[in-house]
Amino acid sequence: MNSSPIRVLADAPGTRSAEATAMAVPDVQASAHAIVRNIEAVIDGKHEAVETALTVLLAEGHLLIEDVPGVGKTMLAKALARSVDCSVSRVQFTPDLLPSDVTGVSVFNQAERRFEFKPGAVFANIVIGDEINRASPKTQSALLECMEERQVTVDGTTYPLALPFTVVATQNPIEMEGTYALPEAQRDRFMARISMGYPDNESELAMLDSHDTTSPLSLIDPVVSGAEVRAMMSTVRLVFASQAVKEYAVTLARATRDDRDLRLGASPRATLQLMRAAKARAALHGREYVLPDDIDALAVPVLAHRLMPTSRALGHHHQDSGPLLQEAVQRIVAATPVPVGVQSRQ
Amino acid sequence: MTRFEPARSVPGPRHQAYWPLTWALLLLLVVGSGALAPLLRGTGWMWAMTFTVTIVLISTAGFRRLGVRRSFVPITGLGVLLTFLTLVFGAGTGLVWLIPTPDTFTVFQGLIDSGIDSIRQQSTPAAPVAGITFLLASGVGLIAVLVDALAITLRWPALAGIPVLIPVGVPGLIIDGGAEIFSLVLAAGAFLVLLWFDARVRRTEEANQLPEGRSAPRVFARATRLGPGPMGGAVAVGSIGIVSALVLSAATPAFTEHSPVGSGNGSLLFGSGVSPMIDLGQDLRRPRPQPALHYTTTAVAQPYFKLLTLDRFVGTTWVASTNRINRDNTVQDITRSPELSKSVESVETTTSVVIDGVDTAWLPVPPLVTRVEGLGGSWYWDSHTRAIRSFDSSTLGQSYQVTALELKPTAGQLRDSSSEYPQSVLPAMDLPTLRPDIIDDTARAVTSGTGTPYDAAVALQDYLRGGEFAYDTDAPVDDGYDGGGVDVIGTFLELQRGYCVHFASAMAVMARSLGIPARVAVGYLPGTKTSDGVAGAGAGQFNINSNDLHSWPELYFGGVGWVSFEPTPGRGRVPAYARPADSAGPGSASGATLPTSAPRAGDDGLTTGGGSVNSAAGSTSGSDALLRVGALAALIVCLMGGPAAARSLRRQGRMRRLRRGSAGAATAWAELGDSAIDHAVRVTELETPRELARRLSGLPGLDGDAAAAEALDRLLVALERHRYARPEEAVAADQGADLADDLDIVTEALHRASDRAARVRALTLPASLWPAVLARQNSGRIRNA
Repeated sequence: MNSSPIRVLADAPGTRSAEATAMAVPDVQASAHAIVRNIEAVIDGKHEAVETALTVLLAEGHLLIEDVPGVGKTMLAKALARSVDCSVSRVQFTPDLLPSDVTGVSVFNQAERRFEFKPGAVFANIVIGDEINRASPKTQSALLECMEERQVTVDGTTYPLALPFTVVATQNPIEMEGTYALPEAQRDRFMARISMGYPDNESELAMLDSHDTTSPLSLIDPVVSGAEVRAMMSTVRLVFASQAVKEYAVTLARATRDDRDLRLGASPRATLQLMRAAKARAALHGREYVLPDDIDALAVPVLAHRLMPTSRALGHHHQDSGPLLQEAVQRIVAATPVPVGVQSRQ
Repeated sequence: MTRFEPARSVPGPRHQAYWPLTWALLLLLVVGSGALAPLLRGTGWMWAMTFTVTIVLISTAGFRRLGVRRSFVPITGLGVLLTFLTLVFGAGTGLVWLIPTPDTFTVFQGLIDSGIDSIRQQSTPAAPVAGITFLLASGVGLIAVLVDALAITLRWPALAGIPVLIPVGVPGLIIDGGAEIFSLVLAAGAFLVLLWFDARVRRTEEANQLPEGRSAPRVFARATRLGPGPMGGAVAVGSIGIVSALVLSAATPAFTEHSPVGSGNGSLLFGSGVSPMIDLGQDLRRPRPQPALHYTTTAVAQPYFKLLTLDRFVGTTWVASTNRINRDNTVQDITRSPELSKSVESVETTTSVVIDGVDTAWLPVPPLVTRVEGLGGSWYWDSHTRAIRSFDSSTLGQSYQVTALELKPTAGQLRDSSSEYPQSVLPAMDLPTLRPDIIDDTARAVTSGTGTPYDAAVALQDYLRGGEFAYDTDAPVDDGYDGGGVDVIGTFLELQRGYCVHFASAMAVMARSLGIPARVAVGYLPGTKTSDGVAGAGAGQFNINSNDLHSWPELYFGGVGWVSFEPTPGRGRVPAYARPADSAGPGSASGATLPTSAPRAGDDGLTTGGGSVNSAAGSTSGSDALLRVGALAALIVCLMGGPAAARSLRRQGRMRRLRRGSAGAATAWAELGDSAIDHAVRVTELETPRELARRLSGLPGLDGDAAAAEALDRLLVALERHRYARPEEAVAADQGADLADDLDIVTEALHRASDRAARVRALTLPASLWPAVLARQNSGRIRNA
């Protein structure tokens, strides 16, 4: 066996080597709209969450959905996966889940007298990791390593993961017993964290009707193919970010590092992911260029979960850092001048 | 948990105008100026002061708002004050009426001199002549700069009350009754308002000064504070102010007792008083007369003792000519009046005077003095009025011998005297242009049928002594027409009650209105005899006390000189030459004609009546005033129209560049932003263009306007492309003319959607012109949740 050979699994629906050609921005917007409409047939009244989820998918990032049980975290992940014609796997994280359950394992085949790789749950385009904070740290890091590397190395053989590859992890913020909170270094790997929030009255009423008889997920048909998603991703990479907007993103990130309420600010990786997400959002809105508004809109989902409040600020908020961090990011955004760009104000 | 709210505008100290404090100071100063009301007649001076204060305070606030460094603001305030004074008082000597030149300062100096003169010499309420108005306006302007600096630059508003005590306290020093409680209370109230506003401003500032940085406390005390609340502090300081004001006012009557204004034992007569005439009246009203002097004389008829002569008008008020004294005119040798003809009989008399209580720089002597001996100190005589005064000593403790001439002209000599007057007495025919008609009318009615100046003079004297008029030292004060100005004379002629000052002044003024040179003498009546003369020469000792203070007119007759008359009924004695019995004669047949106030044909101008001279002067000053009003109006129009014009120019320039294609979306957006600012929409650079557009299209009145919304959207997209897209795409987006059209649509919609006040403000005072506004708006950011 060669040292660290790259083995492409035959049944993987997309590969890194197959670099898709970019599609036009309006087409991206149209496809994205189709996906959003599709998902919203299942999830009522959560447009922003849906849009952010799709943004993260197109920006080739990973999504952390943090909320109380039963508000549709898994539903959103599943609907997103089903809307795209690609493979989906779901892992229910438990304390006894092993790393190899996630990544895969080499099994000795008696008949052929050799080791055979049994791919784990991550070998799918969209991996839904439910209650990720219930798994042991060892298992968590196995998944997070895959997320970052986009490949799995087992017994010296490296298996690249599919493209698109997006992990949609959910976790429950309230339940503390028997959980292993994600360390900040690992939270940093998620491009964005969103929370679903409770539906409003109307949405909840509509949900009672639609979800009563049949499983709504069965109604969802894929609207874009995996190839199309790859083309959309290529387009997103080509979206233009002007110097002014880049500076804006950097300014925001720096501001989080100097903020009086924050012990830990945004990492450079956060800045990078913020810009990537902003590009995806621009494409989603049919633009070939990023606006400061894209940055503004994504600042909270992309930055907030990476920050750590000071203990003083935290004490003020009774241990629940989520709202505090959201507030801090909003305040920073509100206080940072918007870049004017090439020409100064006349 | 509270949602984050962007800090409400947090203006930096540079751009803070402190308008509330400015208004409070304005109120305080106007109220303080109003406290001078008992001292001055009319309301014109009040407007002048108010106007000055307003201009100074608003300009300093404006400069602050424009970002002028706070410590420079008082200097700019002084500059504005000087410019304003040059415009209003500079008599056109300023460059473009505004910038003071050396000439302007000469004019100012003249105004200051005449103002100080007339303050010295006028009664209260005084006529606010130009000099006084100038002093008041410049004084209150300086006080305005000072209180502005104290209250706003240094932020010690409590101290700002002190300069305001000047106008509030002055009436207390001058008038018997002390400062008026009413104006004190008003001023104290205004002071309280100032402190209250200051407390509010301070609180806002403290709340806005958020601690910065990691080390700053997370929770800053906004709701809780130690010590008394700001209102409590204001009330405390204000109460102290009111109490001290009341104490001061209670103390002021005592001031009057010892002030140099009054006369009597040990105090100076006419030293630096408000007015000789007022002093005279006050002395006459003394319940217990103070001894003034005693004398013995060789004269058959005891002489009047003259102190000074009021011979010209400042504004509408009699004043004594000063500073004319020649140092060579020592009292050892006083030349005989050159105009006195030899034919007039005169007797030399000698009078020995011992001063008992008079303390003044004017020496009481009989008229037509030729020599004074025995005086201590240096005394000089005035060649015009023959008054004797000293610069370095006073009358107190003096005793001296006076040699004087006792004139005995006959009625015939006076009647025949020429009405061609020498140059030196011509000023004695000037009268204020603005004088009550009753003076001229009465004079003409009384003297109708008289043929000569002398007959006219006698007729005037008889009219005043005739019984219609009553001698009364209290009525003028009670009715508020004390003093001797022409306004007072008008009132006196109507009410027909007054004392010597009024009678003398009325006769002199009426004589002048008829073209007869006239002036008013102030001095003492001959007094009362206390002991018989012992041996021959004298007629005994006479005592003069403060009740003998008197005032009488002197009229000029060619060949004789200045001749006294006695129009006050019941006081003094009518000179022999002025007795009606003597004057019965062929008056109307005499060849001399009564000069009229109208200029006569063929005159060389030297004998022109006072009226025409004054009317000429009046018309000059009228056209001057017109010019000044015009300049002021132009200034106001410029001030009001300037911002609008500047804004319009900027807009048109941008539009032209857009239509020409030399400017693009950035220019269009800048113009849109300025229009929004003009219409009171906050625009900040903390907001993305998209957020501004969303806010604009959400404005009431604009939200239903589809065309405007589309145009706004096109502008927005063009700008975003210009700013944030690839450069090669941005160029394509710069389609100036379309942008200009869209811009028109949006700004018109914005204008329509605004309320009336905002629209007027947008046209007249476009806020976008002030960089400070932009700077201020940038400090806060509005975000839609």
